[in-house]
Amino acid sequence: MALVTEKFWPQGDFVAKSVGMPDVPRVRLPHPVAGTGSASLQAIAEAHAEAIIDALEGQT
Amino acid sequence: MTELFNAESEEIALEHLHALGCTDGLPVVIPTPDRVERMVLASGLDGDLVLGEMGPGGGVASVRQIAIAAVMAGCLPDYMPVVLAAAKAVIDPRFDLTEMQSTTHCTAPLILVNGPARHSCGPIASGFGALGPGHRANASIGRALRLAMINIGGARPGTSDMALLGHPGKFTYCLAENEEDSPLPPLHTSLGFDAENSVVTVIGAEAPHSVIFSGTGDPKQDADGVLHALAAGLCGLASNNAILTGGSAVVVLNPDHAGILTGAGLDRADIQRELHARCVHPIGTLKRVAPTFARGDDDSKLRHGFKDPADILVLMAGGSGLYSMVMPSWCAGPHRNSAVSVQVESDLYCELPGA
Repeated sequence: MALVTEKFWPQGDFVAKSVGMPDVPRVRLPHPVAGTGSASLQAIAEAHAEAIIDALEGQT
Repeated sequence: MTELFNAESEEIALEHLHALGCTDGLPVVIPTPDRVERMVLASGLDGDLVLGEMGPGGGVASVRQIAIAAVMAGCLPDYMPVVLAAAKAVIDPRFDLTEMQSTTHCTAPLILVNGPARHSCGPIASGFGALGPGHRANASIGRALRLAMINIGGARPGTSDMALLGHPGKFTYCLAENEEDSPLPPLHTSLGFDAENSVVTVIGAEAPHSVIFSGTGDPKQDADGVLHALAAGLCGLASNNAILTGGSAVVVLNPDHAGILTGAGLDRADIQRELHARCVHPIGTLKRVAPTFARGDDDSKLRHGFKDPADILVLMAGGSGLYSMVMPSWCAGPHRNSAVSVQVESDLYCELPGA
């Protein structure tokens, strides 16, 4: 399962296809994540935790 | 796999290649089967010989695929041994090509050439303006590697090559060392090769940064001044080398600065050691620039930009004057931006009639 920000979504598709895993589960995050501070990281984590768990459980 | 297209003219073929994203944005020589096979023949190798995979696309780099890139870039057949060695260098797992092609950093493969191939596979320029326009071998060898990285490695801006802006060295970035005039031994001999070997060393690097130093005539003071100036360029506060640390970098001394350093009794290892010692910043200062990277409780503690002095490649090239060049690096990937050296197999080269 991969966490991919909005701006890097096409790159995620490219890499997934390149390595023969076109359907690898991915969760789309806002961009940017890096350098936005710990409060922002916490908020993003909370907002996407459920989607991440769903992806890990194969529900997306 | 290579697809063969038919076109009514070279102009139409060129537009088709542009439309497919197979060029670097500039016109290319159309890689017709005849031209490609002549390039393969010059290599002395089987065109189907696989050199390895190029990431991030995972394309298979055969001799023929590299020959296609060399034709497109405008290489002469003479250049093929150096192009192949450069391709082998970036394919080497230590180069981290997939990560390097995918990063948001501007890094580009800088090709450094040593040994007799500078002449037999060129001439590859090492003097005035060697990194600028007007030198066919430098221009087309570096461009061939870039086109291979695009068409075999699959690097496309914004989808697989995520460099935020890039730099002009991503078109071509190739240089020979001026061994004949250098007071230092050739770079490749310091990397474990024999002087008579031809060697290509490739490192992912930022654009060249100019470093000015004008001497006073005092040998000791001037050597100290050159070293300080180089260190300031190599490990500036906003650079990856200062912030991420642990990578590699390149110092291209001009003849004057090389003379100042060796005149003060410094050899290459001394220069590397002195630069390593000067490429430091207090953690407190780094925290102001990059709070998410610079960590540690003692703000006064100095952090080295380089793990090992040998990670700073030092060579001599360029014209005489006030300016040397430094090429900082990305400092990331599993191997932290390692330089990779490959011997040029010029003994396999096959001279072509009329080439």
